[in-house]
Amino acid sequence: MKKKLTHISILTILLIVESCMDYGPKSESDFNYYDSNGLFIVNEGNFMYGNASLSYYDINKKRVENEIFVRANGIKLGDVAQSITVRNGIGYVVVNNSGVIFTIDVNTFKIIDIITGFISPRHIHFVNDNKAYVTDLYGSKIYILNPVTKKISGSIDVSTHNSTEQIAQSGKYVFTNCWSYDNKIFVIDSENDIIIDSITVGIQPNSMVIDKNGKLWVLTDGGYQGNPYGHEIPSLFCINASDFKIEKKIDFELNDSPSKLIINSSLDTLYFINKSIWKISIDAAKLPDVPIIPYKGTTYYGLAVSPENSEIYVADAVDYVQNGKIYRYTAQYVCIDTINAGVCPSNFCFKLK
Amino acid sequence: MKKILIVISALISFVNTGFSQIDDKEDNPAWHLYIDSATVTAQRIMKDIGVQQTKLDTVALRESISTSMADVLTQNTVIFIKSYGRATLSTASFRGTAPSHTQVTWNGMKLNSPMLGMVDFSLIPSYFIDDASLYHGASSVSITGGGLGGAIAMNTKPGVDEGLAIQYIQGISSFDTYDSFLRFNYKNSNFQSSTRIVHTDSDNDFKYVNYDKKEYVKDENGSIAGFKYPVERNKNGDYRDFHALQEFYFTANSGSLFGFSTWYVKSKRGIPVLNLDYRSENSSRSQQDEQTLRTVLSWDKSLTNMKFTAKAGYTYTDLSYSYSGDDGTGTLIKMIQSQSYVNTAFAKFDIEYYSGKKWMFSANITAHQNSVNSKDGAIINADNRSVIIGYIKSRFELSSFVSAKYRPVERLGFAINFREELYGSKNTPVIPAAFVNYDISKSGNIKAKASVAKNYRYPSLNDLYFMPGGNDSLDNETGYTYDGGIEFTLLNNKTNLKGEITAFNSNIKNWIVWLPNFKGFWTPSNVKKVNSYGIEIKLKNDIDFGKNRKLSSDGNFAWTRSINWDNPVNWADESAGKQLVYIPEFSVAITAKLAWETWMLTYKWIYYSERFTTSNNEKNTKISRLGAYFMNDISIEKNMRFSWAKISVKLLVNNIFNEEYQSVLSRPMAGRNFGLFIEIKPDFRKNKII
Repeated sequence: MKKKLTHISILTILLIVESCMDYGPKSESDFNYYDSNGLFIVNEGNFMYGNASLSYYDINKKRVENEIFVRANGIKLGDVAQSITVRNGIGYVVVNNSGVIFTIDVNTFKIIDIITGFISPRHIHFVNDNKAYVTDLYGSKIYILNPVTKKISGSIDVSTHNSTEQIAQSGKYVFTNCWSYDNKIFVIDSENDIIIDSITVGIQPNSMVIDKNGKLWVLTDGGYQGNPYGHEIPSLFCINASDFKIEKKIDFELNDSPSKLIINSSLDTLYFINKSIWKISIDAAKLPDVPIIPYKGTTYYGLAVSPENSEIYVADAVDYVQNGKIYRYTAQYVCIDTINAGVCPSNFCFKLK
Repeated sequence: MKKILIVISALISFVNTGFSQIDDKEDNPAWHLYIDSATVTAQRIMKDIGVQQTKLDTVALRESISTSMADVLTQNTVIFIKSYGRATLSTASFRGTAPSHTQVTWNGMKLNSPMLGMVDFSLIPSYFIDDASLYHGASSVSITGGGLGGAIAMNTKPGVDEGLAIQYIQGISSFDTYDSFLRFNYKNSNFQSSTRIVHTDSDNDFKYVNYDKKEYVKDENGSIAGFKYPVERNKNGDYRDFHALQEFYFTANSGSLFGFSTWYVKSKRGIPVLNLDYRSENSSRSQQDEQTLRTVLSWDKSLTNMKFTAKAGYTYTDLSYSYSGDDGTGTLIKMIQSQSYVNTAFAKFDIEYYSGKKWMFSANITAHQNSVNSKDGAIINADNRSVIIGYIKSRFELSSFVSAKYRPVERLGFAINFREELYGSKNTPVIPAAFVNYDISKSGNIKAKASVAKNYRYPSLNDLYFMPGGNDSLDNETGYTYDGGIEFTLLNNKTNLKGEITAFNSNIKNWIVWLPNFKGFWTPSNVKKVNSYGIEIKLKNDIDFGKNRKLSSDGNFAWTRSINWDNPVNWADESAGKQLVYIPEFSVAITAKLAWETWMLTYKWIYYSERFTTSNNEKNTKISRLGAYFMNDISIEKNMRFSWAKISVKLLVNNIFNEEYQSVLSRPMAGRNFGLFIEIKPDFRKNKII
């Protein structure tokens, strides 16, 4: 008995010394999605967890690959992935609270470059092949990026306003919305990289698009009750992108929370989340009475419309601390697939052949 | 399965250490019980009938002078401390519950922040605590309400020895860490003064291999040709803490004991960045500054069968969090500035009455008046105005308690407690708790205990009023908990083995969880239902070899299932039936000490099983799961006595196998690190040493 116990003791000591840690090098996998129509899904993850991830959904095969960034490269994506933009076969993944933009091969998901120098980057917009703008939550400036050298080549000062968020372009004019406790849209002359004007809209403009008529559509969330900046009815603004005049304003209810304004490929129909999923023509004078995809206890957190066939992809963050779902609907709002994604799926980008 | 075997083996080995030592002794041919009547009788204090309690003695509290209560609790109890690293936020999970479900008192006054509801144990130096007790589950009702997991009562105590005593300890540790401790103590027949000062300063810039980043090497075509993992330093983790504690005690001729204790804290801590941060080191800084003053006045009076205690106190906290970033010019400007001021006045009156040997009655009433001014001075662009977001609120909290304890026969005891709490204009329902205690063996060395309680925790002020997101319609969290266990004590003239095994079960409803709302900011609601159950095992074994030679070992094991049984958010919600995030299912902490004349060798070992960071316990992931880890620390101490002083030198090595691990996602921990401590206690000859 004594001998047995001694053996157990020795075994125990060996096991104690043995490492059981999971923190260490991660393996890499090879992906080959050259011949694939796909959808990149940006999963924000949780703030200060560092569990952001990237998923890839093969549209034709209805197959999803999750955590493709860490699986392809052996390193984590970072903390709070914000957006992805595909340009010339390169995916630009903006990771907000890591202060970095990764460029990846959109077919193999392998890292091409790591671009640093930002404070809290949000979105990247390509003015042309040689110039891109990067907005920043805290940076008090819009970064000018050279996509060829992958270096920051300059900046546009926005220090009178804290945050810049999305970017939309009409001709030489580039528009960016100041979202956090703000109500301004900046107009940038992209030839000279200077702010030439600003447009006052409602409280907290969170998203915007340009339609086929060159109109800028801006969605505001109206703030919240008790907000020292104000609380008002959220609105959808239609602005002439040439003379920067507001032409139309469509109001929501006071406690509505519209967000994620997007537009279809023919640039004539707007989609957004307001608890449910809604659609509105650019010619409409008022909001529709019923949503196209109703709220079902879901936590709609991201929205995309296929430029190919107007299929709708809706992200559900569920309880925000587990892997979310993506629901794929036909243009007639019939759900045809449910996709497992990562934590807090929020942003999409199509990769089409 | 392998991990379970490891844990079981460790415990068997641990207990075996004690038994095999005994077997080897020729004068102990077989294990036999020797009942130390004094010890056992002392444990039959009526106040403790049925109470599941873990006492931390001064040995545990002073084991490593430089540690905080976070480290002490990690090493000596079944509580899981979620730590973000050295000198960063460390919160407690008691029986699988949230940090706000552990109620903490210092000299009877609540330490839980009225804003946040929780306590940061990294800000409590163990050097300032003379006595600490953990009250598990239902037992916490006797301390305060709201302890759905349990309660921790920490106290300072007057010294025993008369005369002047001075103690100075200087520590020098890895990462430019300097710890200084100083204590003056003076005591005569009716007066005592104690002054304690702690100062800690550290760059805390330990190196680690960052496996979450790669430094790529490119060829002449600009293609990636290779990589290496960067060796980085813990960025922005520097800290400087200063604590001062002054106590006075006065014993009046009438027998009344008056006490005064005041504790000042000034802390300045950088908040380390994640290892996934690609910003340059000087482009941003997060910092937490805190100044807190806590003062408690006390009066104790003991009569033949009655005891009275009255306390009054005050706490002031000035807490700020700032985030500064490069504005593009290379200058750091404050982008977030959160400031809060908390004032709390406190009063408590306690009475105990013993009626013969069979009955004991006690009652107390505790009042806290909290006043919070919380503001976020973020720069906001409304016509270039800086606008403050926040709230200013006051809340009166009153907790009243009555208890009756009855011991009809020597071996059997019952207790029943009732507590009711009032907060603002609302109150909790009556909190009932019942306890039973039975000595299974006549000699009293095997006891059975059980307790049951229904407990309530009311929302914190941030839960109710934080801007944005506070929800003033929140309900109380409700917990129904029961536990039962067996405790044994085996003594002979050289060996002492104590053990305790307890099973518990708690159901908590209306658990408050903060989640983003449709407006995009976080807001709390009563959403979660949690069933927490498990087993706690405590073992303590001392073997006295004589001639100042002693082997002591102490082990704590917890198996905790903390399961979410909330209704699914929607059909896609897979969190039902899953372990709560960051709660390990298994945890073990073992300390072994060998005292050999003037030497002391201490070995500490802890183990945590894997933890999930997703509510659905996602296993198929490379990014959202924290692996199990072991940690091994060792120290050796030499005590020397000179005519003019007593000096001890201690060398400690933490993480001796230089394990690379994370306790929290994206926060690598320090590898092997060293500390050297020198303690000097001048000997004033006639005066005694502390």
